[in-house]
Amino acid sequence: MAGHSGSGSSDKKSSNGVNELLTFNAENMQSNMKIIYYSRTFLSIIGGVVAGILGFTGLKGFVFYALLMAFTSLGLVAKAKFSIHTYFDSWNRVLIDGFLGGLMSFVLFWTFAYDIAHIF
Amino acid sequence: MAVAALTVGVFGALILFHAAYSTIQYKSLLKITEDEFTAPPFNVVIELFIGLLLCFWAALTVPGKFLSIHPHSDENRIVSLPANLDFMIFNHRGKVFPLETDLKLKH
Repeated sequence: MAGHSGSGSSDKKSSNGVNELLTFNAENMQSNMKIIYYSRTFLSIIGGVVAGILGFTGLKGFVFYALLMAFTSLGLVAKAKFSIHTYFDSWNRVLIDGFLGGLMSFVLFWTFAYDIAHIF
Repeated sequence: MAVAALTVGVFGALILFHAAYSTIQYKSLLKITEDEFTAPPFNVVIELFIGLLLCFWAALTVPGKFLSIHPHSDENRIVSLPANLDFMIFNHRGKVFPLETDLKLKH
């Protein structure tokens, strides 16, 4: 009936039975969070390279980053087919999570690309 | 599907590199004519935009699909024992018991 095929699709975070959504499949939830993290990090890096090549300095670059993250959130919501609660437990995870971590990668590649394209 | 998205992402990154190279050439041209650098030439901006779009699509497709977290949905029906037998989590009816937070050791 049950075999050792991979790790268990088991559940966690049970409640006192009142709210059904508090019990969910934690392994899938973690996998979804990883997907969001990879997407955001990759797009932060690409956005940093683009901002460096375009020659943005100062506030313009951060505005560009905020716009890029807004589009990423939109893209992630579209990927989840607009029914967030099927894949995540709250809106914050898909809209806000990973914003600051991506910012550091963005600034790193922004300065890197700016140096390569404009200074050397 | 993942391989196709990966090639699209690599292609987008190559377009970005080409745009960077074009900008460097443009800057060396500006050094000759001694003009100021305000913005890259228009076709470089278009190239960057296309590269960004391609990488955007690749970034959303390559990491994989979202999996449903509902415990009762149709795609979560297969139950298997976890590989690590030390930590097993079960979904049983004990969840209807209220959580007792003031348990004391009886001695």
